[in-house]
Amino acid sequence: MIEIKNLIKTYNIGGQTIKAVDNVSLMIEKGDLVSIVGHSGSGKTTLLSLIGGLTMPASGSVIIDGIDIWSMGDDKLSEFRNKKISFIYQFSSLIPTLTVLENVMLPTAFGSHDENAEEYAKKLLDTVGLKDKMTSYPSQLSGGQQRRVAIARAFINKPEIILADEPTGDLDEETEKEILSLFHSMNREKNITFVIVTHDKEIANQAKRKLKMGNGSIKEL
Amino acid sequence: MMKKFTLFSLALKNLKRKPLRTSILVIAIGLLVSAFVFALSFVRRVDSSIKITSERLGADLLIVPTGSRGAAEDVLLENEVKSFYMDKGIVERVKKIKGVDELTYQTYLVTITGACCDVPESIVIAFNQDTDFIIKPWLNKKLGRRLQKGEAIVGSESAFNIRIGLTEVDSVLFGNMFKMVGVLDKTGTGLDNAIFIDDENIADIVRGGKANIKSGQISLIFAKIKKGHDPYKVAGEIEDSIIEVDAVARKDIGKNIINTLRDINRIFSITVILASILSVFLVWAVFSAIANERAKEIGIMRAIGAKEYHVVRLFFLEVLVIGSIGSIIGIISGTVLSLLMAKSFTILKNLAADLNTVERVFIATLSFLIGTVVCVAGALSPIQRIKKLEPLLAIKEE
Repeated sequence: MIEIKNLIKTYNIGGQTIKAVDNVSLMIEKGDLVSIVGHSGSGKTTLLSLIGGLTMPASGSVIIDGIDIWSMGDDKLSEFRNKKISFIYQFSSLIPTLTVLENVMLPTAFGSHDENAEEYAKKLLDTVGLKDKMTSYPSQLSGGQQRRVAIARAFINKPEIILADEPTGDLDEETEKEILSLFHSMNREKNITFVIVTHDKEIANQAKRKLKMGNGSIKEL
Repeated sequence: MMKKFTLFSLALKNLKRKPLRTSILVIAIGLLVSAFVFALSFVRRVDSSIKITSERLGADLLIVPTGSRGAAEDVLLENEVKSFYMDKGIVERVKKIKGVDELTYQTYLVTITGACCDVPESIVIAFNQDTDFIIKPWLNKKLGRRLQKGEAIVGSESAFNIRIGLTEVDSVLFGNMFKMVGVLDKTGTGLDNAIFIDDENIADIVRGGKANIKSGQISLIFAKIKKGHDPYKVAGEIEDSIIEVDAVARKDIGKNIINTLRDINRIFSITVILASILSVFLVWAVFSAIANERAKEIGIMRAIGAKEYHVVRLFFLEVLVIGSIGSIIGIISGTVLSLLMAKSFTILKNLAADLNTVERVFIATLSFLIGTVVCVAGALSPIQRIKKLEPLLAIKEE
């Protein structure tokens, strides 16, 4: 369970303090599939980063499975992210010098070594339809294929939470459907919690729960 | 089965990303280390050669004709072919000086280049076998008996230089036939380049008139000092009493060369320090650029669970690979350079002592450390900066 309490995140831009996330409180149950919609600059990505421990809040807390993630030191928080949380971004988040298979396996290099990681990575690549591209480099893939590799990578450490920021942006309709279907089946079968930030109303409507952000505040739809 | 994926393999792949930039860094470190190896080899070789010579001569004082100290050091330290003479009667006068214990003398003769049937130009040392304590230990070891009249034994290097084989041959010295009875072991001093004969041959050589020496002349006297006497004081007394000679204490042998060497050492040190600073700046500039370029990647790696430690380790692996390859190239090229250039430096060309394996390993180890430390020092600040960057800010970097 994710419990967000009075979360505030401010940025100092040109001497002015901007509240990107303004006193947000929220509960997300384990196995939930939540979509967050909102205009650009409404604070969606910042909220996602706060939940994932990528940026420190000005105040408030993010409690995951009873642990306040911001009370952990950097090492513990990194370990926590590695084991429990995965991110999927709207931009290409692959390491250009690594092959597709190596990119998918990258999170295992930062955690405890799993003998079966390679087999599982291949299985995931098969699931996203890229088994034949294992030895290719990101530069040899299309934007959609790169996104699918990033999605496969997100599942390698069998996370409990997936935080996805516009995961299907720029993808063709068919791939988008496949990806969403994968999300839904993972949510259903593995009880993985999904928090998906999207502009797409159709994707948002497929979520179990819909939230909307505006000017740093959040409300249930 | 894929080769096990590790941070090290990622570091290697990162270095291959911009091969030209990596090569420039490796070459820069290589040049720095090469300069360091060359400088250190040069200084150590001259230094140890002087030390070995002064220790192995086994005398506390060297007494030479006034103004010939440099020439004597040239013969003993740098294997130069020179002759200088003083009256043999000086030996008895030196004996009378308080504190002087044992004495022996040598006479240096230079063979004549181009003379019919003579050996090529080299130094011939005539020594008194009754009083000698310089050559005798080496002679006893090799020959096990005294040199007879008409016999000569050669230094380890001169055997090659004057093309005398290891077997017994007859050679002509100053028109006189000499039987070469063997080759001495390497002493590590200028004596390795000489041909040794007994003192009693001098009379025949003088009679033959082919050597530029008169009857009753010697080149230098080696003296041992009685226990409890200060060599410097005894040397001073000798110079005060006998105006025709200069007396040099063992510790002062090669002092002029050491002083010159000290200046050369300073020049080398400043050059190496400046080169190190330049290399640190170069590494800093390159790794600052690398840190900026890869900020987003580092942010992504942090998002998927990389700790600060992983980021530091990744960058340090890259730095260490560059430092190690650069250092190894530098050690090899510096050693080759020092061996090749040794022929071009007058001071090195004639030195008997070369660096031993231990010294070469010491220089290589020190140089390797310098190369890697310079690399690490340069990359430290950019690595610290990227390590501390908040993952979200890093991801947003373009």
